[in-house]
Amino acid sequence: MRASIDIVRSWKEQKWAYFFIAPQLILFALFLIYPVIEGVRLSLYDIKFLDKEWVGIQNYIDLFSDEVFRKATVNTLTFVFWGTALTIIIGLFVSVSIFDKSERYMTFIRGTYYLPTIISMVVLSIIWSWLLNPAMGVINHYMSVMGLERINFMGNTKYAMPVLIFMVWMVNIGQAVVLLVATMLGINTDVLEAADIDGTTRFQKIRYIILPMTKKTTIYVTIMTIISIIKVFIVIDLMTRGGPNYATTTMMYLCYQEAFKNNSLGSASAIGVLMFLIVFILSATQLKHFRSDD
Amino acid sequence: MIKKLKKLDKFDLISNILITIFAVLNLFPLYWMISSSLKVSHDVTKMPPVWIPIPPAVQNYTNLFKNSNAVIWTFNSFLISIGTTAAIVLVSSMASYAFAKMNFWGKDVIFLVLISALMIPKEIYIVPLVKVMQYFHLKGTIIGIILPNVALPFGVFLLRQFFASVPDSLRESARLDGCPEWKIFTRIMLPVCKPGLSALAILTFVQTWNDYLWQLVMITKDNMKTLQLGVAGMQQENLPDYGLRIASACVAAVPMLTIFMIFQKYFTSGITMGAIKE
Repeated sequence: MRASIDIVRSWKEQKWAYFFIAPQLILFALFLIYPVIEGVRLSLYDIKFLDKEWVGIQNYIDLFSDEVFRKATVNTLTFVFWGTALTIIIGLFVSVSIFDKSERYMTFIRGTYYLPTIISMVVLSIIWSWLLNPAMGVINHYMSVMGLERINFMGNTKYAMPVLIFMVWMVNIGQAVVLLVATMLGINTDVLEAADIDGTTRFQKIRYIILPMTKKTTIYVTIMTIISIIKVFIVIDLMTRGGPNYATTTMMYLCYQEAFKNNSLGSASAIGVLMFLIVFILSATQLKHFRSDD
Repeated sequence: MIKKLKKLDKFDLISNILITIFAVLNLFPLYWMISSSLKVSHDVTKMPPVWIPIPPAVQNYTNLFKNSNAVIWTFNSFLISIGTTAAIVLVSSMASYAFAKMNFWGKDVIFLVLISALMIPKEIYIVPLVKVMQYFHLKGTIIGIILPNVALPFGVFLLRQFFASVPDSLRESARLDGCPEWKIFTRIMLPVCKPGLSALAILTFVQTWNDYLWQLVMITKDNMKTLQLGVAGMQQENLPDYGLRIASACVAAVPMLTIFMIFQKYFTSGITMGAIKE
């Protein structure tokens, strides 16, 4: 009797469970799984307006022999590497320096470093392209007052990429600091106090206690930052338009150009598939981190 | 205060001075944006700059709202952000309740599939996504702009732990009282999980407000543009009037700054929730 009630109950509960997860699952299937599969399919066609011709992996072959795509790949690597490295190194430096200070000070610093993330990349790009403008920008004005030569930051192959790296560093540092500080605050204070009594120097404490104990979060933030830099679009579009001479064209920017400006959907889809693979592999390393239930 | 500073070692002290200087420098672009938007037109690009516009002029704002569709853009931004937030909070709280509190066939596998897509941004499959929207005749519609954001499983991940922390006994006793499953969810679970829901709502709202590429490829008509699109468009047209451009940037940024100042603690909890393992 008891068992049959349990079965009835669990069957009823199952029905409710599926009802509760249904909206999320349906949307997930329609607007995430389906487009990803569709992307793989489209990447195997040569698409011109309404004409579609099956070409197999020709789009991929064409991409790898295309000089612009190769340049975009190298640019993406540079962009992601420096953007992430700066975010992590400075993020760790800032977090280690502020996490054991007064609450108000910590909140103020964390807040100001997070501000650029709040005010959208569009707004940030507009402010900074004005500040850096060679003719009308404040920075160049004071550089020339100090006797330095004016620099066309966004129009010069030497400076365009560093400027963009600075921009993505600025929008990613806030999140890194929030996560790292939270992890450091979670370190058992007994451990830190014991180290103080033993007379460890601050440097030793950071090197042997704090950094190892924030390793998981650091890796997580690294992966998250890489992914968020891979998908950057608007900063490039507003500040450098991928130039000068493709110096700041990344895979994401090229993907957009191919799809929505050059109307070659097949090749744009192929770039999308490649980016998807990179991101998927990177995020797979974090699966264990997300699944554990502690 | 001085005693406290003395306790810091030299390296720590110098680090914190640098960090504070940089924090103040971080505020400078914001100050520049807001002060410039309040300058009269011949002061806007004047060098050396007019640092404090006295008296502040609202002419850039009146021009903006008179000569552009800024009012409509603002309305659209609110509409899309509120719609997306409401949909995400509803859909992901339902799903995370089921994952946290119910047993059903395939639970672990389904959860694994959802979670494996956690870090994948929609920008990466944006080309086929637009195609899919065309197949469903949703391109250029508000619903079409909202739904792909709701498909992302971030909310489920963020809320699941919240629902898991609600004691089972609460649910059991409600059930013994004959309370139907749906009411347990709306009357008991949702109120208990309010802090989690607020954090998710605020993060989603800001993210949607600041979204760009997806809106760019979905919206073609000017009267459907959001603030981000409108503001970026003015920049790309290279209008000579810097005051107008920077005022429009202000209109896009100030609502988010206000939300951030009021709800800062929700940002912190939303970002760290679920992501930090001790």
